[in-house]
Amino acid sequence: MTALLPLLQLLRLASPGLPIGGFSYSQGLESALELGLVHNAASARRWLADVLQGPVCQFDAAVLVQALRAVAAADAVELSRLNQRYLASRDSREQRQETVQMGYSLRQLLASLPESQAMCWPAGLAGEEICLPAAWAVAAQMLGIAEREAVTALLWSWLENQVMVLLKAMPMGQTAGQQLLSALLPVLTTAVERAISLPAAQHSNFAPGLMWAAMKHESQYSRLFRS
Amino acid sequence: MNMNELLSASPLPSGLLAGWPAALELGYAVVQGRTVPVHRRHQGPLRVQKHFIDGHGQCQHIVVHPPGGMAGGDRLTLDIHLAEGSAVLLTSPGAAKWYDGFGRASSQQLRVEQLPGSLLEWLPQETILYAGSVVALDNRFQLQGDARLLAGEVMCLGRPASAERFDRGCWQQSGEVWRDDKLLWCEHSHVPGDSPLLASPVGMGGHSVLATLLWAGPDLPPELHQACLELPCAGRAAASQLPGVWLARFIGDSAEAGHHWLRACRDLIYPFSHGRAASQPRIWAS
Repeated sequence: MTALLPLLQLLRLASPGLPIGGFSYSQGLESALELGLVHNAASARRWLADVLQGPVCQFDAAVLVQALRAVAAADAVELSRLNQRYLASRDSREQRQETVQMGYSLRQLLASLPESQAMCWPAGLAGEEICLPAAWAVAAQMLGIAEREAVTALLWSWLENQVMVLLKAMPMGQTAGQQLLSALLPVLTTAVERAISLPAAQHSNFAPGLMWAAMKHESQYSRLFRS
Repeated sequence: MNMNELLSASPLPSGLLAGWPAALELGYAVVQGRTVPVHRRHQGPLRVQKHFIDGHGQCQHIVVHPPGGMAGGDRLTLDIHLAEGSAVLLTSPGAAKWYDGFGRASSQQLRVEQLPGSLLEWLPQETILYAGSVVALDNRFQLQGDARLLAGEVMCLGRPASAERFDRGCWQQSGEVWRDDKLLWCEHSHVPGDSPLLASPVGMGGHSVLATLLWAGPDLPPELHQACLELPCAGRAAASQLPGVWLARFIGDSAEAGHHWLRACRDLIYPFSHGRAASQPRIWAS
């Protein structure tokens, strides 16, 4: 074991090479493009910043923070409660299928890794569908990744994937994509800090425009992505 | 600004902070093939009008809040219980208005418990949040066995007809639908008046009305889901069949357009949810 190991595990968890299928989901962005809500670099930047500061920070990341604390405290009942709540919070069938599939894939992956031998899968989740934030929390514990880093990794992998969607579907050039990342990284750091300190009463998945886009995607004629 | 900061900024003496609490308990059961109210208790200004039983044995009740609006500090509590097999429609005579609270929070808590075989329509008229209102709405529907629920709401942020935007205050809402011990669906909204999501296309996109229709029961047949998607409406509407819950939303600019869309969806769903054509409570026409 070296001091670099947690960093390496963090890079690995946040990598688009992590085989949990994130690349196949646009999380409503493909639909937002089709509907004209996102149509150029400026509108893409605004869309991503608002999703990031809105439901991704105030719900996805905030639930992940709670899940990380539940895993750290070996509180299987709380983790199961959070898992059920996150699954029930999905506003469209595709958004729910997305988190269930990615959660399942991450669980299967972890089970095959030597790092998982030191830790049992939390009992309350054994026979349940598992959402991505709950699986991510267990992964972070198994890989020795700290809370702030685990939240950062989830938001980074979300952001990088969203930019990849823009490269394919808008389309946007590679350099423009990197410029977009530069603009949004400060937003991401703020979102991480906010999620870590957000009181439960302020958790919010309010995003009716995103919900509308995600629901419309179910009947979108031409699609590259599964959400 | 969050709710605590708004509260601590309140200039009012503590005696006024208590507000005007009101509570209503309603219980329904089937008697001789018809659903009737079997329990009714109120405290403070929250009542029901005389019930009406339609030709199919469904009990219609109109919940009335005589003060006509909620001021800062007011608290409403509704507890509703449906016994096995009962069928109830609950609505209201007019808009629920939540006034500028001048820093004081007001709240409504709805608790619904439905025993197996019961069928509830929870379809109040629109809720209007005035600029400056600090409101916490908390709805929980607890369904047992094969109980079914059709719940709708039309939420108006500000009063666009008076050129008043919801740009101060805070709207907090939680909604939960449970079946037995399982949480089927939930929403958590915390939307301060300065939230970027009010203007953002990710959120309201500058629109002021958000309507929701939720059906908890057997999955809607695909052709019925499709028919709802194809309904014309003056706004943006969409729907999705989730496990155990069918959810439809509308974003627009007027309560009328929201109700029109919601009631058109209800008309389509009714033969599936209730086994007959929909009829509208007379109060909706006034």
